[in-house]
Amino acid sequence: MNGLKLRSLTRLLAPYLFVGPTVLAVLVFLYGPIVGSAVLSVLDWNLLSPDINFVGTANYKAMFGSADFQLSAWNTLLYCAILIPAQIVLPLILAVMIHAVRGSRMDTVYRGMLFLPTILAYSVAGVAWSWLLNPVNGLFNEVLTAFGFPRSRWHTDPDLALLCVSLITFWKTFGLNMLLWLAAIANVPPGLREASRLDGASRWQYFWTIELPMITPTAFFISVTTLFHILDDIVGVIDVLTHGGPAGRSSSILYFLWQQGMQFFQFGQASAVAMIIIVVVLSVTWMQFRVGEKRVHYG
Amino acid sequence: MVQTSRLSRRQFLAGATALAGAGATGLRPAFSADAQIEISSTWGADKPFQKVVDAFNDKKLGVTVVNRFDGDYEAATAKAVASIAAGRPPAMMITGWKFGYFAKRTLGARDLREINAAKAEAIAANFNPSVLPLVTIDGALIGLPWAMSTPITFINSTLWREAGLDPALPENPDTDWLYGAARQLDSKLKDKHATYRSALALSNNEWTSQSFIQNAGGFIIDPAGKLALNSPEAVAGMEQYCAPAFEGLWLPVSAKEQDAAFEAGALAICTTSSTRATVFPFGAAKAVTTKFPGLPGQARKMNSGGNFLAVYTRNQEQAEASLAFLEFCASREGQSIWSSVGYLNTSVHDIPLINEFMKPAAGQLTDGLTAETIWPGKRGLEGQTIWRKWVSRMLLKETPVADGMKGANDELAALIGAG
Repeated sequence: MNGLKLRSLTRLLAPYLFVGPTVLAVLVFLYGPIVGSAVLSVLDWNLLSPDINFVGTANYKAMFGSADFQLSAWNTLLYCAILIPAQIVLPLILAVMIHAVRGSRMDTVYRGMLFLPTILAYSVAGVAWSWLLNPVNGLFNEVLTAFGFPRSRWHTDPDLALLCVSLITFWKTFGLNMLLWLAAIANVPPGLREASRLDGASRWQYFWTIELPMITPTAFFISVTTLFHILDDIVGVIDVLTHGGPAGRSSSILYFLWQQGMQFFQFGQASAVAMIIIVVVLSVTWMQFRVGEKRVHYG
Repeated sequence: MVQTSRLSRRQFLAGATALAGAGATGLRPAFSADAQIEISSTWGADKPFQKVVDAFNDKKLGVTVVNRFDGDYEAATAKAVASIAAGRPPAMMITGWKFGYFAKRTLGARDLREINAAKAEAIAANFNPSVLPLVTIDGALIGLPWAMSTPITFINSTLWREAGLDPALPENPDTDWLYGAARQLDSKLKDKHATYRSALALSNNEWTSQSFIQNAGGFIIDPAGKLALNSPEAVAGMEQYCAPAFEGLWLPVSAKEQDAAFEAGALAICTTSSTRATVFPFGAAKAVTTKFPGLPGQARKMNSGGNFLAVYTRNQEQAEASLAFLEFCASREGQSIWSSVGYLNTSVHDIPLINEFMKPAAGQLTDGLTAETIWPGKRGLEGQTIWRKWVSRMLLKETPVADGMKGANDELAALIGAG
């Protein structure tokens, strides 16, 4: 009788025991910090002092009124405008091209070469790129002058800094999307291609009308996650290459947050920026689901 | 037949429990018997600071020091904030000068005199009295003036000779001499030399720009504690600082890029930290050194930067143990080991210079050095970034120097006024 009771109790508790650790981890490491940030964003507190002041929306007002915040928010918009299309379309083109040589030795070579920057540490990539872009004697300038072109200041030029960070971010991160596209294309049943050929469809027609609709679940996934990746990845590049300069021209909203929190120890204002970012990203993702999910073919 | 002795589960559990019990009670001896203190440091085990730590530990004085690399000043301070918030402050931390107020007022750096007045006085007596104000915040002696450097001028001797410039360098150079030499380097070598690309780099940071302002008779923050960037002297200093950039003699880049260009023979003159005197003269640039340039007809007033060793632990025994380590650091033996890094000798001990290229730096110390700006107020740590931003804007000609100084003054005044 006792054995039966124990067994039924175990059966009753089993789902909670299996799911519990994950739910706990999400609560502690995701929702906990979000709630913590929300609370900190309305306080004036340095985490150490017993002096804690409730300041209401003052941190938000200070951030919205800050010229540096405005500049970094504008820069982030530009980064997204450049990098989101580039990170989605160019890896797709590369994936289609690599898929075209599948099975050959070059397939592995291309795939390895193009994915290599993704696994490289930011510190290593930063050193390499600063050698290439060094305005005094970097390789790029040496090549430009060899062909009679004037030298450029690259990432130290206020007009080019953002583009340089975008270029390096793209180089560093496009590999992941390329692999996702490759996997999606490889999963399209080969019979469809043969059937389309028999029906006289061109390569282009096959891609547009058969292959692309078949990989829309991956397309939707990539379009949603690319935004998060970009916001995150540009910080790494900014940190090793420009530190947000010159004069804040390459900074991003996430780098601004890091500065407020980890460089200036203004936790209230950093938390206010974090809450603003959470709201913006949630809104954009919600819109992506509203608009994009209808166009996804799951079957 | 081979006999094997097997542990029963009960024996294993009993043994493990006994071991755990011994670990909990006996593995941590009383601090007074053998204290272990951890230093949150910006230097890893491969750096000379480790040699100081090892030399101290070898003495077996009942205190063992562990040097824990925590990244740069910001990263180490961030970790300190977290550990202090959790009630476990690092016993000691290498703390940048610029964090002076933050260390005292927020992180709670201990007054050495409050830990042990007699020992603190004995330690302080090992240092030149002129450097002690740098580690005295709100009247408290919060650390050991440990690492101090000052910007000096490094010259690529080969390029200098090839441009036909006089190898006899003046003891107290000024901007007329330096900028004149830069012009000659450009006219003789630009587009004609295999490696030469740029004449000069003054270092685009708050450190060198502060020296220019002071040399022109101005201040960033005046002795009364007021922001003084808007003064005619400060503007004149910045105009001199920006002049070579406007003339095309200086292409402002990051410190790493500047160093790389100098070591590759692409950059002829570089004014940067005196610690490079352990590297540049012995590399491909075969650098020679002289003092940082002053302004013609003006008194020289150079500044310095670096860090101090501060005590943060609230535990009295750990604090006493930290003082024991500071005693060693302040001693002639500790200072002699430390001097190999290339920092200035701030102590009263007669320690020979590590090489002749350090002479200009030592000369500047003798002339008298000011500290790098420690921005006051609750939001003081933002001051350096804001000042650097305005310096960049002026160098890039995004704003005229006078307007830039006013803009910096206004933004920094609001920041300092915030609390």
